[in-house]
Amino acid sequence: MLKALLRSPTGPISLIALALILVVAVIGPIFWTGRATTLNFAESALTPGPGHLLGTDDLGRDIFARILVATRSSLVLSLAATLIGAGIGIPLGAAAALMTQRLRSVALRAIDALIVFPGILIAIVIGAIIGRGAFGAALGVGIAGSFAFARVASTLTLGVGGRDYVAAARVLGISRRRILVKYVLTNIADTLAIAATVSISSNIIQVSALSFLGLGVQAPQYDWGGLLTQGVKSFYFNPAAALGPVVAIALTSLTFGLFGEALARAFNPLLWARQGGDGAKRMVSEKTSPSPDSSGSHPASGINKGGSANAVLDVSELTVTFPGQRRVVNDVSFKVEKGEILGIVGESGSGKTMTAMALASLVPYPGKVDGVIRLQGTDMNHVPLRDIDRLLGTKIALIFQDPLASLNPALRIGIQLTEGAETHLNLKHAEALGLAVDRLREVNLPSAERLLNRYPHELSGGMRQRVMIAMGLMSERALLIADEPTTALDVTTQAQIIELLARVNEVHGTAIILITHNLGLVTQICDRVLVMYAGRIVEELSTQQLIDRPLHPYTLALRAAIPDMTQSVAEPLETIPGQAPSPEAIPPGCPYHPRCPLAVDRCRSEVPPLLAREDGRRVACWVANQDLQ
Amino acid sequence: MRDLAPPQGDYIGILAEPSGFSRIRANTWTRFIARRLLNLVVVLTVLLLCDFLILRLIPGDPAEIAAGTSGAQEQVQAIRHELGLDLPLQAQLVNYCVNLLHGNLGHSFTTNQPVTEIIAQRVGPSVQLAGLSLALVLIVGIPAGMIMGALTREDRRRRLELSFTTTTSLLSALPEYFVATFLAFIFGLVLRWLPVAGSSDLSGLVLPTAAIALRPIAVLARIVRVETLNVLAQDYVRTARSKRLKPRVIYLRHVLPNVVTAALTIGGILFAQLIGGAIVIENVFARNGLGTTLVTAVLNRDYPVIQGVILVLGVIVVVVNALIDVVLAVVDPRSRTRLT
Repeated sequence: MLKALLRSPTGPISLIALALILVVAVIGPIFWTGRATTLNFAESALTPGPGHLLGTDDLGRDIFARILVATRSSLVLSLAATLIGAGIGIPLGAAAALMTQRLRSVALRAIDALIVFPGILIAIVIGAIIGRGAFGAALGVGIAGSFAFARVASTLTLGVGGRDYVAAARVLGISRRRILVKYVLTNIADTLAIAATVSISSNIIQVSALSFLGLGVQAPQYDWGGLLTQGVKSFYFNPAAALGPVVAIALTSLTFGLFGEALARAFNPLLWARQGGDGAKRMVSEKTSPSPDSSGSHPASGINKGGSANAVLDVSELTVTFPGQRRVVNDVSFKVEKGEILGIVGESGSGKTMTAMALASLVPYPGKVDGVIRLQGTDMNHVPLRDIDRLLGTKIALIFQDPLASLNPALRIGIQLTEGAETHLNLKHAEALGLAVDRLREVNLPSAERLLNRYPHELSGGMRQRVMIAMGLMSERALLIADEPTTALDVTTQAQIIELLARVNEVHGTAIILITHNLGLVTQICDRVLVMYAGRIVEELSTQQLIDRPLHPYTLALRAAIPDMTQSVAEPLETIPGQAPSPEAIPPGCPYHPRCPLAVDRCRSEVPPLLAREDGRRVACWVANQDLQ
Repeated sequence: MRDLAPPQGDYIGILAEPSGFSRIRANTWTRFIARRLLNLVVVLTVLLLCDFLILRLIPGDPAEIAAGTSGAQEQVQAIRHELGLDLPLQAQLVNYCVNLLHGNLGHSFTTNQPVTEIIAQRVGPSVQLAGLSLALVLIVGIPAGMIMGALTREDRRRRLELSFTTTTSLLSALPEYFVATFLAFIFGLVLRWLPVAGSSDLSGLVLPTAAIALRPIAVLARIVRVETLNVLAQDYVRTARSKRLKPRVIYLRHVLPNVVTAALTIGGILFAQLIGGAIVIENVFARNGLGTTLVTAVLNRDYPVIQGVILVLGVIVVVVNALIDVVLAVVDPRSRTRLT
């Protein structure tokens, strides 16, 4: 715990500063009270100079000494306010969260309404009722801050209260109060500690503000806020008298704030971990050795070159690299013929999605793409920058896994459909809308005109995916890339979407790349299949060959893992033993060898090349290709 | 274009009825407004009750305070009767409400001026100050956060990100009166560009506005940056990128509305910060507004004025929060149906 605290970036600094402040608060009044309270009219109203670091006030008292002495009262008041706030707020919030549904929503709404009230206003009102003075200020600031505590406590309690062990305690008939103390409070204590620290940080400011306004600590007692009031009065003459207390307030508040943040990091390192999206984006240390296989696999790409004029897409030696020599796509070459449906299958992390992203030039930063991509014969590396957007925006369409997440929740369907066509085809808005209506009808969405004015959340999952497909049809696409287009949908809708894709392919002749981990889907509509493993193509074969006789042991294992109707329910499902390697730790040699039942010595040291065979397929396996060598 | 297939499947639900959509939409709006109004009424009632209770909760006798130290017993009695404090509590509450409906907030204990008159005089400068600060916060905070988000997306420019988060967390820890004192020191004393206090023209507004706005700007910019990063990582931004739209369109059309939605949800808290800041800052710069009026009233135990100012400020806060919810509902269609 302490170790984690010291490791966080703000931990050590805030700890040291905190210790200093506490020491000053303890010894300040002991050592400097004399200097701070002795009247000395001979030295009244001095500007900063030797002997008086920040000058003296009207009565000749040293201002710096007064600031040091006031540390204790300011700190004690803030702590008292925090204790009052926590003491009122936490039980209230926790209790609110444990109430019955109806009462709870009323209580939570009340907390929400109170929390948006300016704290200083509440503190002033309470101060006005109690009477001005230190107690009124602490109570006022405390109550004003209690709503924040109540909110945090209720949120946390709701979170914990929903957990299984609390439900179990409830079923066992344990009393509400015992549940609150034993199960809930102990589990939210760390977060509340953080909230308390942050609360002290802001209470220092609030208490000082009240004193500054004359509503807090009353003379002859003083705290930082009171010193500030006096300092502001002589501001033109001695600005240091005002700046001094203000700096003390700000630094102390900042220290507690930083300490709270450090505590939060120490308590909950996961929560504070850098948010970097999926694994591919995350940076990895440079210690991963360069992959030993970068030269191993060239023979394969040779046979793919100079292909037929019909190829919509011709990819050769495509590689996607992330920092740390992580190749998420490694030397991938393939073609997509006109009107063809190509399946790409593999486990998560096999590089299938990143291959698609590379084709659409959407690889996330800081990924680097190498290789040649020819779209309808045009080498994308040689397309002028200003034409790339138009080419990709009109020729390639993408459909993603989750249609709700893929449509912008704040924009109407109409604009999301038309904006691409307006940008790249120079259509007027009305023309684009007309086209959109046609396309929505084409994907079996009736009432298309009305649909244009809807927001995505008003549609069903199947409708949204149809909208995505309609979006893909807004111009005459050469290629449609569908990345797990049915995973987020229910089974009936899945079938409809797949049928729709097949029809689009049939009617428009649009080539489709279907990325999926569902081999059943592949056998339904694909002509050809690429099997990817650890960033490489391990086998390319026709759908019939996939059904009849895969050659690569990985493809075999994948096929065996598909359950079918003839299988008895009593039999365990087939699984592939072991795990797919992460891009940081791809084993040397054939990446599949640790899981492969057929692996021989050579597999452990040399990467098998992807070789073309007589039956039209390509396989990268030393064992399967034994006859070719 | 010929139709590909006969209609089938999953749209039967709401699309089957020809007017299904519009009916659902009208319904959600009505229900949203009704819920919002109910909420508003409840909160305003609670506010009224609290305001009413201020005078009744103070220790001691308000009439004696009003009469001052020299007040004779008969005078105190007369004042007590005049304030209606000799009536039962329910009758006092009824009186309070009736007076309120007549626009009567009582008279100041110290100047005997009608409270409504005092407030009418002082509300202008305060609204001006708070309004200007709010405008400044929105105009600076949102673009600053979005630009930072765009520049530091996907872990780019780590150093810039670090300096931005350090600066904003420092700024958001600085109390308004600190900023005010510093700004007054630099621009008023050292550079002598702007008046420090007492000026009522526009140049006198610059420092107070900046002092109030700085902290909320830092808070907002931070939140907007994080929210921009979140939005940029969303699938729908990838969809927008796959359409190869211009970056300007992606940011303004696809990212901005979603970021503003998130910014608005903390709008209530930011506005509270602004009002609180304005109360303090008016006192720092000795401006004649509701904040100085309130503080003076508390110091003088001038309870009718305290009640009046609290009521006005409270109503402003409540109404602004309700407005924020309405704006949110317009910008984010989903929030209309969300049950809170």
